[in-house]
Amino acid sequence: MGKNKQVEIAVIGAGPGGYAAAFRAADLGKKVVLIDREPELGGVCLNRGCIPSKALLHISKVMGEAASLAKMGVTYNEPKIDLKTIREHKNRIVNQLNGGIAKMAKARGVETLQGVAAFKSNNQLKVETESSSTTITFEKCIVASGSSSSTIPGVLADHPSVLTSKTALDLIDIPERLLVVGGGVIGLELGQVYASLGSMVSVVEFLPNLIPGADPDIIRPLQRKLKKQFESIILSSKVSKIEANKDNSLEVTIEGSGGKTKQTYDKVLIAVGRKPNVELLRLENTDVALDDKGFISVDVYQRTAVKNIFAIGDIVGNPMLAHKATHEGKVAAEVASGVPSAMDARAIPSVVYTDPEVAWVGLTEMEAKKNEIDYEKGEFPWAASGRAIAVGANQGKTKILFDPETKKVLGVGIVGPSAGDIISEGALAIEMGADAVDVGLTVHPHPTLGETIGMAAEAFEGTITDLYVPKK
Amino acid sequence: MIKELILPDLGEGIEGAEITEVSVAVGDKVSSQDTVLVLESDKASMEIPAENKGTVKEILVSVGDSIKTGQALLKIEGSEETTTATGEKETKQPPPQKTDAPKPKEEPTLPQEKEPQAPATANNVFASPSVRRLSRELGINLQTIKGTGEKGRITKEDLNGYIKMQMLLSSGGLPVSTPEIDFSKWGSIEKQKLTKIQRITGQRLQRAWQTIPHVTQFDEADITELRQHRKTLNKKHAKKKGKITFLPFLMKATIGVLKEMPKLNSSLDHHEENLVIKNYYNLGIAVDTPNGLVVPVVKGVDQKSIYELSDELTDLSQRARNRKLKPNEMTGGTFTLSSLGGVGGTFFTPIINPPEVAILGISRSCWENIYDEKTKTQSPRYIMPFSLSYDHRVVDGAAGSAFTSKFAKVLSDISTFQES
Repeated sequence: MGKNKQVEIAVIGAGPGGYAAAFRAADLGKKVVLIDREPELGGVCLNRGCIPSKALLHISKVMGEAASLAKMGVTYNEPKIDLKTIREHKNRIVNQLNGGIAKMAKARGVETLQGVAAFKSNNQLKVETESSSTTITFEKCIVASGSSSSTIPGVLADHPSVLTSKTALDLIDIPERLLVVGGGVIGLELGQVYASLGSMVSVVEFLPNLIPGADPDIIRPLQRKLKKQFESIILSSKVSKIEANKDNSLEVTIEGSGGKTKQTYDKVLIAVGRKPNVELLRLENTDVALDDKGFISVDVYQRTAVKNIFAIGDIVGNPMLAHKATHEGKVAAEVASGVPSAMDARAIPSVVYTDPEVAWVGLTEMEAKKNEIDYEKGEFPWAASGRAIAVGANQGKTKILFDPETKKVLGVGIVGPSAGDIISEGALAIEMGADAVDVGLTVHPHPTLGETIGMAAEAFEGTITDLYVPKK
Repeated sequence: MIKELILPDLGEGIEGAEITEVSVAVGDKVSSQDTVLVLESDKASMEIPAENKGTVKEILVSVGDSIKTGQALLKIEGSEETTTATGEKETKQPPPQKTDAPKPKEEPTLPQEKEPQAPATANNVFASPSVRRLSRELGINLQTIKGTGEKGRITKEDLNGYIKMQMLLSSGGLPVSTPEIDFSKWGSIEKQKLTKIQRITGQRLQRAWQTIPHVTQFDEADITELRQHRKTLNKKHAKKKGKITFLPFLMKATIGVLKEMPKLNSSLDHHEENLVIKNYYNLGIAVDTPNGLVVPVVKGVDQKSIYELSDELTDLSQRARNRKLKPNEMTGGTFTLSSLGGVGGTFFTPIINPPEVAILGISRSCWENIYDEKTKTQSPRYIMPFSLSYDHRVVDGAAGSAFTSKFAKVLSDISTFQES
């Protein structure tokens, strides 16, 4: 029955963090096994998260742009939506990518194993599938088992009309009325997809603003757009009850400052955050420690309390972002292979891939105020950018926060199309310790949306000529 | 389960060693305390135990190899069950509700985890990610480097420059090329290879001489009474191991003065910004051996009696001569004594043993006729000449001569030594 296997490095979870860790370790000469409970590699990001959602958001964005051409003298017929073809298109992209990972694993000699991994001790794992079980003895293990959608305690979750980000991406149908619970990144992205495809979407957020991690001023243009697209945006409110009707529609009780209301929706998408996938790991058989929020505690080397067990990505805490997981995965693989490495990033960018996009990196104004960090600000409204006006993005904005003394870039916030692509310059500026003059004197191509970063720095310096800034 | 035996950290400063003997062969059964290798480092030879019970599967090094801390030496197959066995056994042992079940104390397959030496760089360090990575790889703390780049940014060149400087310093200062001279054209010659100890001592002495501003203070101590006291003690304890030399008395006297003048029992810190005063008294004793100069350290001298010191000195100097000192017996000194009393000469200028800040050099004592102003008579006194070299960055001239006066005074007053 049981098979036995001995490896130098076992990686649990083949998401963007896990496969990066496995591949890096293999490139450093280690014998690696990459374990995932799903048959496809790539994890949530590739199969049930970032990538499929971006495929759908692209459709929704182009539909929006096509409609906006009416103002510019180009009109189309009403779009016809063939859900089956959209699903196939999305699945093709996903399959192309996860097939690519499988090929790269093979090329590197990384063994992949499908099954649920559970620790037996500080150096043994048991991987079980329906038909077999394998005991793996490892020298080092990298836990990258990720996270899954949270549910609301006490509220109906197990019903075909109650969706998670995963089932929402399956795009089974377009509900007439959809309630999105949670005004964070996932809720707004998927809400916008369904709205474009024809649903009447409402969103409920417990906090007083959408995307709680970002500064309100860069969320505002998105919120204005969503107000037009969505049926309603209900802030400072929570869903206290969901009851299923016979026709599978849902009675939802929403509680806010104004009291309780009851509404009927065809479907409800629960997007109230994600929880670390720790249960199946059987960590009680190891000395790995969790923090008070249930994430695995790690040091800068991504080591857990057990020195030969590493953890990376969503399972070690926020921000739960693929690019953070990838970097941590590489650090873990390097440290586990004896390479001197540490998680040393100065900033990790966050992006909301809605239309318009919202992106920020480093310090936000909210954080600065909360932690009493002094900063100064340079802002460039996209209404002054020729390119932005030409593409109908004059609602956008780029702002940079600077250290008042050294004038180094502390943080950048952007809202507008391609904000997620432009933000990288902000991350680079922070990593390199660039200051306002560095950014302003870097020649940015014109006319682009990216030049708004240079403009924001010039606005701060008072050298800008595309805006009139009264003297300080 | 095959385990690798890794060269452990041999103690501060010692990074590598040469293999002088491989005591086992492939197939040998060893237990954890069995010696498998003998190494010779800068100044000592060491025996490396097997650490684990098992059978030697593979020897990864051979005699004459230079090896470094962390290097794999040999592979030993443990006598515990192999993986196949554990796989099935373990499932039986811990029942499913095992949250409270005791975990095996030691995981059988884990090699000793080395601490990574590459922390994340502090936020106030101004360097690009590539330079930060390089500094981790080189094990350099960026906070100790001054950046020469734009606005003080630490560049790759700054790192290279820092490394070059460190290499120069550790190899004994700026390289001076000496022209090769053919001495045989003036007569017959003979070449003698310097021992490893001689080469290393040479480098260290040169570095100390070049980096520390030395001042040497000469003084004399009247040890007529101490001489008598020692004779009496030796007569009384003749049956004991051996005669007590002057050295334990000199050590005790040194500690007495160091306690009064803690500045001389100190070191400058890494940045040369703080003086690190030590509240412990470990005396390095320079010992001449056939292989070269060795400085074993007697720890906690203030806690030990004259007899204990005497025994320890005998043991240390014997083992120094036989190259059996362990590395940790030659580190941690706070002050050094170098005695040429048994050889000859009056006064010499000893070189400080860094990171200490002073060294006492003892010369040969002799009888002198001393005129006493009070009694207006002359009498023969047993006089010991000695020298104190001190680091002038830490000790000023007044303190230097105060030290030697106090030392002379302590030695002339035998009540100091009446403990026994």
